[in-house]
Amino acid sequence: MIDFGRVQKELQECSKDIEASGIKVTPKGDNLTRLLGTIPGPTGTPYEGGTFQIDITLPDAYPFQPPKMQFATKVWHPNISSQSGAICLDILKDQWSPALTLKTALLSVQALLSAPEPNDPQDAVVAQQYHKDYQTFVSTARYWTEAFAKTSSLGVEEKVKQLVEMGFPEPIVRSALEAVGGDENLALERLCSS
Amino acid sequence: MSRRVLCKYFAHGACLKGDYCEFSHDWNTPANNICTFYQKGICLYGSRCRYEHVKPSQVDSHSISSSSNTHSISPRDAVAQAWPPSIASHGANSVCSDEESSSSYKSLGPPTTPAWNNLDVQREDYYEAEDDVLESRKNVDPADRPLCSYAAVGNCPRGMTCPHIHGDSCPICGKHCLHPFRPQEREEHMDTCQKRQKQLEALQLSQEIECSVCLEPILSKPTAAERKFGILSECDHPFCITCIRNWRSSSPTPGMDVNSALRACPICRKLSYFIIPSVIWYTTKEEKQEIIESYKAKLKSIDCKHFDYGSGSCPFGTSCFYKHAYRDGRLEEVVLRHLNAEDGQTVIAKNIRLSDFLSDLHLR
Repeated sequence: MIDFGRVQKELQECSKDIEASGIKVTPKGDNLTRLLGTIPGPTGTPYEGGTFQIDITLPDAYPFQPPKMQFATKVWHPNISSQSGAICLDILKDQWSPALTLKTALLSVQALLSAPEPNDPQDAVVAQQYHKDYQTFVSTARYWTEAFAKTSSLGVEEKVKQLVEMGFPEPIVRSALEAVGGDENLALERLCSS
Repeated sequence: MSRRVLCKYFAHGACLKGDYCEFSHDWNTPANNICTFYQKGICLYGSRCRYEHVKPSQVDSHSISSSSNTHSISPRDAVAQAWPPSIASHGANSVCSDEESSSSYKSLGPPTTPAWNNLDVQREDYYEAEDDVLESRKNVDPADRPLCSYAAVGNCPRGMTCPHIHGDSCPICGKHCLHPFRPQEREEHMDTCQKRQKQLEALQLSQEIECSVCLEPILSKPTAAERKFGILSECDHPFCITCIRNWRSSSPTPGMDVNSALRACPICRKLSYFIIPSVIWYTTKEEKQEIIESYKAKLKSIDCKHFDYGSGSCPFGTSCFYKHAYRDGRLEEVVLRHLNAEDGQTVIAKNIRLSDFLSDLHLR
């Protein structure tokens, strides 16, 4: 059984110093088992300036089992799958401790962005590029950040307008945008696949 | 022997045994009104106990002096109701010198008439009785005179004319309950006062400590079973007993090392082999040691269910905290078997099984 009292406390704690850490955790709907974490890209890295969204699912035994975290924003990083967004981080697996919280776990993910571990990769293609052609890796990562992690600068209306211009009907665009949390790239993907 | 003690049920008019009762049904026999729990060391009711708190050594003189009233509390209550509220309340929860004060009420009204029927008569009786005491006490050694319980907790309305001794004030609890002529009792009181003070301080500090897993103050949990700290043997990070036990007993995920993850402190990851439940948090190493020792001593008095009086086998062997004793009370003897390994090292063998040797056997 999930300790919802603790989850509530964690959300409160997190919203208290949102200014200092930039880390945000919001529930998806009424159920506290599915949450959305937001971390800013660390400065001095190719991810600087981007805002990364992370899907969080709490297992039944939380906090005695680690939360399941996955990048919802596409990111180019040796320890994060460029396809699925899966994160390779020890504290989210066998090194989890119940004294860790969603916020500290997200901080660790943020730290992972600034300190990649290419020798223990999640995405072999990215890791190979990191080793062989570091410059290309940096520019790809920067491009992905620009393309996928900076959408929040646009207002909702602008996004709707953009998508409607592509030929989708407005009500469907709005619902698609809402469903993916306001990311117009994800919304486009959704609209194309449906 | 028991014939000489007044039957409690008879005193309430409800003894069903009648003539066959092994206790006395004669109002002139003294009532056994002494708290046995207090004599054994601790009475949980403390000053609220209906029975007399008398130390074992004082019992003999006490039971002779006590008259036939059944409950020392009822006349005391009567007085408390009749007197002005401020004094009455003091009297009702007087903590110290209970045994002395109750002895002075012994000569109160006849037990056949309930004390609440005639308060005024009771009060007069009380004063008369007190005056008698005053008369008789004039020639008594001051060490034998009881402390005044009213003075002990505040003001004695009788002031200088009080037949009882007004004690010195205790520097710790602030009550006037140190008997000027009984040095041993003074010391005893100061000791208990000091201990209580220390415990209160520790308890106050413990109140605010939060568990890092459930993020709640441990002593504010809903049930008493949860309001306990789980102290880790090797580090000083506080958790509540349920959280730390849950974590240590959760099933390890694949690839997880039990020692470095589950048995480690969730905060500092220091390995601890056992946890100690405690209702109070400690501030010094000595206090922690004391908690651990008393916990181990308590477990040592309980028979190990794995050992099962010698018929079972305990996986913890000689390091088990529980008692390993046979049915006849004999303790398990520990004999270590030393084996010489091939490389010349000596190892301590445990649980030697025939199958271990058979698996190494090479048949030719």
